[in-house]
Amino acid sequence: MLVDFELIERARSGDDGAFNHIVTAYRKRILGTIARLIGRPEDVEDVGQEVFLRLYYSLDQLRTKEVFEPWLYRLTVNAAYDYLRRQRRRPESRMSDLSEQQVMMADASAGTKRNAEESHRVKVRETVQSLLENVSDEDRALLILKEVEGLSLKELEQVYHVNENALKVRLFRARQRVLKAFAAKGEGAVSADVARADAARKAEGDA
Amino acid sequence: MSGMQGESNDRLDALWAQYRRACPDPEAGPEFMPRLWQRIDARRNETLSLFRRFAQVCVAATVAIALLMAILPELQSNNDSGTYADALAAEPASNYALILAGDL
Repeated sequence: MLVDFELIERARSGDDGAFNHIVTAYRKRILGTIARLIGRPEDVEDVGQEVFLRLYYSLDQLRTKEVFEPWLYRLTVNAAYDYLRRQRRRPESRMSDLSEQQVMMADASAGTKRNAEESHRVKVRETVQSLLENVSDEDRALLILKEVEGLSLKELEQVYHVNENALKVRLFRARQRVLKAFAAKGEGAVSADVARADAARKAEGDA
Repeated sequence: MSGMQGESNDRLDALWAQYRRACPDPEAGPEFMPRLWQRIDARRNETLSLFRRFAQVCVAATVAIALLMAILPELQSNNDSGTYADALAAEPASNYALILAGDL
């Protein structure tokens, strides 16, 4: 817990200052989770504000203070779903849909000079995002929370209100689907990039 | 086969870790909190104006019902020509025999 129970209690009773403290304590973590859930850095703050807005108007429904964090994750996942659903209705070309030449032209016209590290990050982000397109929005969130955010099955149980076995089955199926897409995409090429970037990071650290 | 599957699993795990590093927790911009409070206030005002509209509808409905309740007995009393005794007196005397015989 990043805040104590008393602060949550004060926020519940309408203390806006206490609510501000809670937002300040959690916003970085929540914005990070949102960034990894939606994969669009430009919209992260907007979705983040939606999460805290929902928190503000639902704090009085919180039954026990102990479930505050799972509750906040639940609000985060729901806001991310809503965002992803809206995005599906609004087709937009992404860098991964463009040819290499088009990407180079787009970069040149934007006048950007990405270094190798940054372009690798973009590649990893786009690879993972395209792999996650093979699963439903619900499974995508579940996979991210488990594999990337590192939530335990116990914590996921509290977030989703679903028993551990059902979660395990769902996670296994989603992971299998992603693995299949990973193999089809040429995991070797992606892994080589990953290894190269790791080596570059180590060399940078040594220097 | 299971060895290959295991390798793929390891590579995928490495990719998740890379993804975690490629999307670090971002710092909120300076406008984050002011915008959040703007949105909270906008929602509050929206709820208040909805409540206000609902209250106005309730008041209008109450006034309408009160008026109806005031007017209805008045209308009914206009239709009533008098007391029960007056109604009996208005009945033609020729009907009494039929009524008593149970034919009417």
